[in-house]
Amino acid sequence: MSRLPQAIRPLCPSNGLTRSLRPSLFSRLSTIAQRSYAISAGGAPIASVFSNPTKHQHRERAALDPHQSRQVDYLRDQVATRLCDRLLDINRTFPQALDFGANACNIARILTRSNPDLDSDKPTTDPIATRIGHLTCADTSSAMLHRDADLPFNADIALTRDHLPNPEHLPYPPATFDLAMSSLSLHWINDLPSVLTQINTCLKPDAPFLAAMSGGDTLFELRGSLQLAEQERLGGIGTHISPLADVRDVGNLLSRAGFKLLTVDVDDIIVDYPSIFALMTDLQAMGEANAALRRDPAGLSREVMLATEAIYRELYGEEGEDGGTVLPATFRTIYMIGWKEGGEQPRPLERGTGESNLTDILGGGGRIG
Amino acid sequence: MPMSGRTRPIEKFAEATARCTAEGAVYGKCVAANYQNVSKDMCAREFMALKDCYLKAAKRKV
Repeated sequence: MSRLPQAIRPLCPSNGLTRSLRPSLFSRLSTIAQRSYAISAGGAPIASVFSNPTKHQHRERAALDPHQSRQVDYLRDQVATRLCDRLLDINRTFPQALDFGANACNIARILTRSNPDLDSDKPTTDPIATRIGHLTCADTSSAMLHRDADLPFNADIALTRDHLPNPEHLPYPPATFDLAMSSLSLHWINDLPSVLTQINTCLKPDAPFLAAMSGGDTLFELRGSLQLAEQERLGGIGTHISPLADVRDVGNLLSRAGFKLLTVDVDDIIVDYPSIFALMTDLQAMGEANAALRRDPAGLSREVMLATEAIYRELYGEEGEDGGTVLPATFRTIYMIGWKEGGEQPRPLERGTGESNLTDILGGGGRIG
Repeated sequence: MPMSGRTRPIEKFAEATARCTAEGAVYGKCVAANYQNVSKDMCAREFMALKDCYLKAAKRKV
């Protein structure tokens, strides 16, 4: 539980609604250990959407079958690769790095590859791992975290696997890390502003934070088909796919958490599946099954699944290479880069200190653009 | 957990559904034709045809 004690969070309603929603798997933690940085929460208090114990269970279960779990690493590996590509642009060494929400340490494995940048003109660049002194992989699922502990890449990077008892609390002292990364795990965080603030705090001044999270239109085909099927079969719709952050929200969240020089961009990875069952099985094997607090505990009925499959196939089905129909599924990833303030970081000049008129430079009779 | 020699229920389900693509297409078209205004049992007849096909397919296999 990362809920802040009520006393230092005056905007929370005093009825404790958001607290009571959470099952108390982590209740053995003392209150002091759960204390977190106070953030200035503007507007409504943050309600819990996801069940942390359920998510923990999903991921632990998924990691119990390492073979299957590795088979469905295609998405995490692809996103981690694209995220690490962005690290190539930062010409620095990082004595202490953090991978928050590390899953199976996918980032660590990608960092040790000799050529993480497939589009580079230089075909072989040194692995980024050579620029990283020590990497701390932090995750709540210890089974997932240690899944690949025996693989050879562990020898190529100084690595510590840190098991976090609480997914929304970073137990690191301020100014610990020279780099923080996170790949495909922030989308299960309830209190994203608090977690981002904590990441910001544990970074050293002028240190970057690079993250990739599932956002917006991820799995919109499945979401839409499920809604149509439930509407037609049951006459109402349920929660099956998580609400996800939108690109527009991310910049706002980062600046609220104190990050500077923000870069946010989006890309889609479209994966073709033979059926929605294959898609659902893979999601489950990734440990990405539905963990909304308000989900129907019984799950989807067979009728609804049958209807969803037919609707998905009709609306989104495409002809595959072998002539059969394939079902494309879109995974939209939001990549974000933010820098902690400080050091010799370039800063915008103060308002009103400009010395030249923009219209003189741009011309055009007083109109810009 | 998928164990060797045991088919998961969802695999059986997927297999049986795969034999009913024709009925599925009819139902899918029915919903898609009016997707902005879907009401309960709008395509009940088409769905029942799909379900019958599925039930037959599921039985035949096992």
